[in-house]
Amino acid sequence: MESSEIALGESQAISARDAWYPSRLRDIFILRQLVSKDFKLKYRRSVLGVAWSVLNPLLMMLVMAAVFSHFMRTNDPSIGNYPLYLILGNTAFSLMNDATNNGMRSIIDAASLLKKVKINRYVFPVQKVLFGVVNYAFSLVAIALVMLFFRVPITPYALLLPVAIALLALFCIGLSLFLSAASVFFRDVIHLWSVVITAWTYATPLFYTVSILPDWMVRLENFNPMYHYITFIRDVMLWQTLPSMTTVLGCVVSAAISLAIGTYVFKKFERKFILYI
Amino acid sequence: MALEEQSAPNPWGAYLDVNCKRCRLGDSVRMTPVLFHTDGAGFRYNYVWINGGWSNGNWETTLAKTGSYTTDTSYEFTPPHPGTYDLCVDIFPPDGVQFTVQRRLVVYEDLLSGKIDRTGIEDEEPVISVRDVSMIFNIASERYGSLKEYFIALMRNELTFKEFRALDGISFDVRRGEAFGLVGTNGSGKSTMLKIIAGVLDASEGVCDVKGTIAPLIELGAGFDLELTARENIYLNGSLLGYRKEFIDERFDDIVAFAELENFLDMPLKNYSSGMVARIAFAIATITEPDILIVDETLSVGDFLFQRKCERRIQELIASNNVTVLLVSHSIDLVERICDRVCWIEKGEQRMLGDALEVCEAYKALQ
Repeated sequence: MESSEIALGESQAISARDAWYPSRLRDIFILRQLVSKDFKLKYRRSVLGVAWSVLNPLLMMLVMAAVFSHFMRTNDPSIGNYPLYLILGNTAFSLMNDATNNGMRSIIDAASLLKKVKINRYVFPVQKVLFGVVNYAFSLVAIALVMLFFRVPITPYALLLPVAIALLALFCIGLSLFLSAASVFFRDVIHLWSVVITAWTYATPLFYTVSILPDWMVRLENFNPMYHYITFIRDVMLWQTLPSMTTVLGCVVSAAISLAIGTYVFKKFERKFILYI
Repeated sequence: MALEEQSAPNPWGAYLDVNCKRCRLGDSVRMTPVLFHTDGAGFRYNYVWINGGWSNGNWETTLAKTGSYTTDTSYEFTPPHPGTYDLCVDIFPPDGVQFTVQRRLVVYEDLLSGKIDRTGIEDEEPVISVRDVSMIFNIASERYGSLKEYFIALMRNELTFKEFRALDGISFDVRRGEAFGLVGTNGSGKSTMLKIIAGVLDASEGVCDVKGTIAPLIELGAGFDLELTARENIYLNGSLLGYRKEFIDERFDDIVAFAELENFLDMPLKNYSSGMVARIAFAIATITEPDILIVDETLSVGDFLFQRKCERRIQELIASNNVTVLLVSHSIDLVERICDRVCWIEKGEQRMLGDALEVCEAYKALQ
């Protein structure tokens, strides 16, 4: 003990034996470090940097609005401000898309680390979802710009937005846990998921409204979790109403089911990960 | 202890006691033969030390020096060079046959802490306790990388596995403050054992009980990100090892100084050589006093100056008698120099467990 103190020079406040966090706090610090790592990496060496998080949804919205504006307005005039309708749906959906895609690969990518250090494995998929939420927070700037431009008023209902995002994040955590575990054993899950996501994009009323769908499709939408999350967000931001009971229930139940399945599968198989990565 | 090395006959259960097993150049070494069931009257001795073999010319015997056997019951000398010493005492009982007891000694050029006092280490509690650990891998005779192949095989009932025992009935204890080595040829199961101790792999059979904090050296590509700067990587790595942020803040300069990175702190890691990354890894892992420090091959990428520095730091940690060092290396000299005890694993089986010098000697004989 003494010798290492001497070697390190002056005496220090925290002794070398008390350098560690208790396990809970440790995970929080790891999550923070990993999220900040991803964030730094995403925008390193790009001139506009973080501005891309704002520009990306805006450009996407411009393109889609230009293409679908006329078509949608004649079909369903009750849609409200169409560009805002678009950007709210797109950003929420891409949060889910990014979070699950990155989360799915997170265990495979952390292979070399997991083989060496005992870390709670769930931090990797969870971290990717948190990173997705951070990115979403930046796209809120884009949403605010659109609302400002079209003079859509912001109401107290907007205070419910964090609730929607939190539920969506929980939903994504469950999905990511499941997908990351599954992809460790079967890499085809990664390819399969990209097909699922594409199908899901079209199955979700991102640029159209449910009113143009046939009846059986509308009934099916009730089983589409993303439909509920996006409706929740549009209710509070665009239409300025309280989300309906069905919507809230849809969000909560989807999150609960996803988390339950995700944690169950992850817990059950996480001990075997190391043999397959 | 090297109790088994005497030549027969040894009617007095004699062994050679040396005041240190490892020491620094300049320290004096005292050899004392210990005899039981006799008061030692009439015994005469010839004390011998040999540094690196007779042919080397570095040896001394009291017989050659004084021309006769001595009655002194102990003998002190100062090793003139660093290296490995064979210490022998020829014992001449008054009415019996001559016999010899011997020990090995390692003398270091520089060892900050001087003589490492290892007395009492046998009484320390074990921090790593490996009991009859076996690791069985099910190797699929075919590899199913895709769902389709898997289900086809499942349907046809063709899912067959070959059992492969990577480790078979390994048992050892490592005590607090001990330096323990694992040796073995490639693919013998050292890494698997290390993974089980590190807690990332669960043993198929047996129990591996580890008490306390573990600090492994994280290699390039694991806890490091090449795009991030050294500064960012130090925090990232520290967090993965579970360090407190305040602790990293406080010791940041020490880490940088030890890794000799002062001028490159804000450079992305991809511009670093692998040796430099190994330095950071070592500096981060050893800035604390973990209960268990796991040192593996990663160390070998550093240059010789840094390797020496690392070795010194490991010696320091060992000398603190709080840190248990687990060393896995192909450099048998390093294992011999650093470790107290060594476990030799060969093809998954425990070939030998015991004093570092003995096991290393036997291991070297394999080649």
